[in-house]
Amino acid sequence: MAEDLVHIALFKEDQVDHAAEAVETLRGLGIRDKDISVISGIPFSEKILGRPMAWTRVPWIALAGAFVGFTGTIALILFAAYQYPLQVGGMPIVPIPTTIVVLFELTMLGLLISTFLGVFTETISPSFGPKGYHPKISDGYIGILFACPPKLDEGTHTALKELGAELLHRSEVKDL
Amino acid sequence: MAAEAQSIYEAQQALLDEEDPRQHLMFDPLPRHEMNSMVMEAMTTTTPRYWRVVIILGILVAVLLFGAWGNMILTGMGLAGIRRPVFWGIFIVTFVFWIGISHAGTFVSAILRVFKAEFRRPFTRAAELMTTFGLASGALYPLIHLGRVWVFYWMIPYPNERSLWPNFHSPLLWDFLAITTYLLSSTIYLYLPLVPDLAMARDRTTGIRHFAYRILALGWRGTEAEWTRVRVAIRIFAFAIIPVMFSVHTIVSWDFAVSQVGGWHSTIFGPYFIVGAILSGVSAVITILFILRSTLKNMDYFLRPEHFDALGKLLLVFSLAWAYFFFNEYLLHWYGGYDVVRKLLTHHATGPAAWVWYTMLICNFAIPCLTLWNRRIRRTPWAMFIITLLINIGMFAERYTIIPLTLGYQRSPFDWGEYTPRLTEVSIVLGTFCLFIFLYLIASRLIPLVPVWEVQEGQEAHKLRKVGKTEVPSVAELE
Amino acid sequence: MADDQKPKKWGIVIDLDRCTGCQACVTACAMENNIPTAGEDEVGYGRGLHWIRIQRYWHGEYPEITPDFTPVMCQQCGHAPCEAVCPVFASLHSEAEQINLQVYNRCIGTRYCANNCPYFSRVFNWFDYQIPSPMNSYLNPDVTVRSRGVMEKCTFCIQRINRAENQAATEGRSLRDGEVIPACAQACPSDAIIFGDLSDPHSMVSQFARQKRGYQWLAELGTESKVVYLKRGGEYGG
Repeated sequence: MAEDLVHIALFKEDQVDHAAEAVETLRGLGIRDKDISVISGIPFSEKILGRPMAWTRVPWIALAGAFVGFTGTIALILFAAYQYPLQVGGMPIVPIPTTIVVLFELTMLGLLISTFLGVFTETISPSFGPKGYHPKISDGYIGILFACPPKLDEGTHTALKELGAELLHRSEVKDL
Repeated sequence: MAAEAQSIYEAQQALLDEEDPRQHLMFDPLPRHEMNSMVMEAMTTTTPRYWRVVIILGILVAVLLFGAWGNMILTGMGLAGIRRPVFWGIFIVTFVFWIGISHAGTFVSAILRVFKAEFRRPFTRAAELMTTFGLASGALYPLIHLGRVWVFYWMIPYPNERSLWPNFHSPLLWDFLAITTYLLSSTIYLYLPLVPDLAMARDRTTGIRHFAYRILALGWRGTEAEWTRVRVAIRIFAFAIIPVMFSVHTIVSWDFAVSQVGGWHSTIFGPYFIVGAILSGVSAVITILFILRSTLKNMDYFLRPEHFDALGKLLLVFSLAWAYFFFNEYLLHWYGGYDVVRKLLTHHATGPAAWVWYTMLICNFAIPCLTLWNRRIRRTPWAMFIITLLINIGMFAERYTIIPLTLGYQRSPFDWGEYTPRLTEVSIVLGTFCLFIFLYLIASRLIPLVPVWEVQEGQEAHKLRKVGKTEVPSVAELE
Repeated sequence: MADDQKPKKWGIVIDLDRCTGCQACVTACAMENNIPTAGEDEVGYGRGLHWIRIQRYWHGEYPEITPDFTPVMCQQCGHAPCEAVCPVFASLHSEAEQINLQVYNRCIGTRYCANNCPYFSRVFNWFDYQIPSPMNSYLNPDVTVRSRGVMEKCTFCIQRINRAENQAATEGRSLRDGEVIPACAQACPSDAIIFGDLSDPHSMVSQFARQKRGYQWLAELGTESKVVYLKRGGEYGG
């Protein structure tokens, strides 16, 4: 498909219903969900706007991190203790109670660091859907970015203006 | 008869009128761009007085903390007042104190979030900053109190040609791991909800600030995917950081509890320390909220008497819980405990430093019980400020009782010893307090202190609903 | 030769009836182990570096006052509270000698071990204490000189144990009872301190340790100390 122009429709922060209507209208006009992107200043559940759920792999990455933390700690403790076994306090070389404490801490560290790394990695990975931004978003506006072929230009503009949107033809692709 | 009934009704009406919903932040919404401006103004406004305070604090930190510490490193630990048998003194007391304070942020931003306490919204970030800087100040102490601090890195597990590893049996090592985990997690937990506000700051600044915010905001646009992943991550953190928080202070308590020192070897130390930490932390939050409200622009819109009220109620609960754990320990040792602990309890209450023990009881238990039940006191910010300062003094006294005043009176009277903090110690302790305030002051002008997106999210979710003859506040679960 | 491989269990018996409180053991220990002098002020504040100390308690009302003296050094516990808590393994249990080792080079000075010792037998180098001249020119070459910031304590004169074992190995024989004498035992004018191998039932120390008067201090803590005290009879001067 030729480079479809990206448009942005801005709705004021209290016009959630209008924004939801607008998404439906756009879908009705034939624009696919993956050509629509909603950006907002506060999180709106996808259900509110009638959008497909966004996916994220962060929980799985977190779990993997916890597992790595867990096994890594066991490996570290066993390796370190048996490489140079030193007798202290009449305790076994690797006592279970003390190992549990260290295991817990480093497993949680693995979990939490990997959560952050997951968020970071997903953020810097390329995203799909129309790119674009407008500073009014951080002022609470809800923005609907959509890419539509020129022939649907008129139709979308009229429909959205009826719902009270502020329209910009070429979205200012901020150098983010 | 009718006249009496009339006046009671009027009194009740008056009370209801007091309950104007708009006194609550969640029912007093402002347009987002206005709230953004207020927060940005608070962040970017610096008065000459601010700079004077910052510079003075910077000098104090350099002299009191790093100067005295450097001197102690070069000369020896003997500059401190510690001695045989009190080998741990005010450094470890302050260490435990700071770790306790650091529980504030996690309590507010994680526990209150999990329990969906909506009043937490405007001050989660201010509390999280307290955690981060409290940990930063506290984590200095395991270094400060070392006799040979230049080889502190031997506590870090790293492979080396001599096959030497740290001792995983030691609570000090668990301390090191726990505090590292907690510090990193807290910083990340501070950062994740900060990203949308950094995006807002990015959009409203220019020059070097804009550049910095742009990098840190990770290209935030507010797409559904971005919100989803940040919210999922925050949710994971909120649930996971609570056990980490509990474990950190439990491990700090185990520094004492696993030893055979009379008065330390108690199974109740874990929960006792945690409750004490939350008491100390929530008090510190209230103290800081009062200071923010009085010194930062526009904060009186975000931080209202209702927040002091809600936190004050929690404070009373934790004060009672602290008293419960304290009495538990006291009764058991007094009744049928080992001789050494029974004598120790007498020493605490009647010895030369008995004023510390009494300060602890009055500030931690008597004062909260006598004042925090009263709604009007709870809703008066300056009163809460004074009460919470006293509570933190009491918590400091508690740690002082537990550490030096216990080590000095163990099993053989020939080996008893009294401890007095010396100039170097007092200097370093004051230095870390100055460091905390200094870091906080700098941070308050670098990042937006109020999570505006969370406040607006809350305001969107709160509506007044007509039920029967009255309007009732209701909260929608927008998630 | 096989005898030398067998782990020894070095122990001390202190006869409290014989101890006169003369502090010869304290002085001898300081000479043997290169212990610096902390100075009057420091000792007054409780920072004296005494690897062995004489605990003195006064009994009775003036003018009928009697003292009793108890020499206390590191009890070399079998179940040492000081060992497990050191974060860097500076306090270790020796398999061969069954005593507690303090590794000066590894100590980072957290002082946790000192807090956890129920006998408070560990001392810390608060400053770079000096050994006054001319005594600093005849240091014991077998003992490390410690810097500030490290813990130290009685080692049962492990340098003497090692020297005797090396001597015995060179001569191709096993150690004889009484061959190893720590500085405190050597200096004691009333022979109140007896040192030897507790794992050898015929050694003098084992025989003394089996006496009915024998007790271990704070045995109820489960420390399994290697120092057995013989209870004093209650008469003045032992």
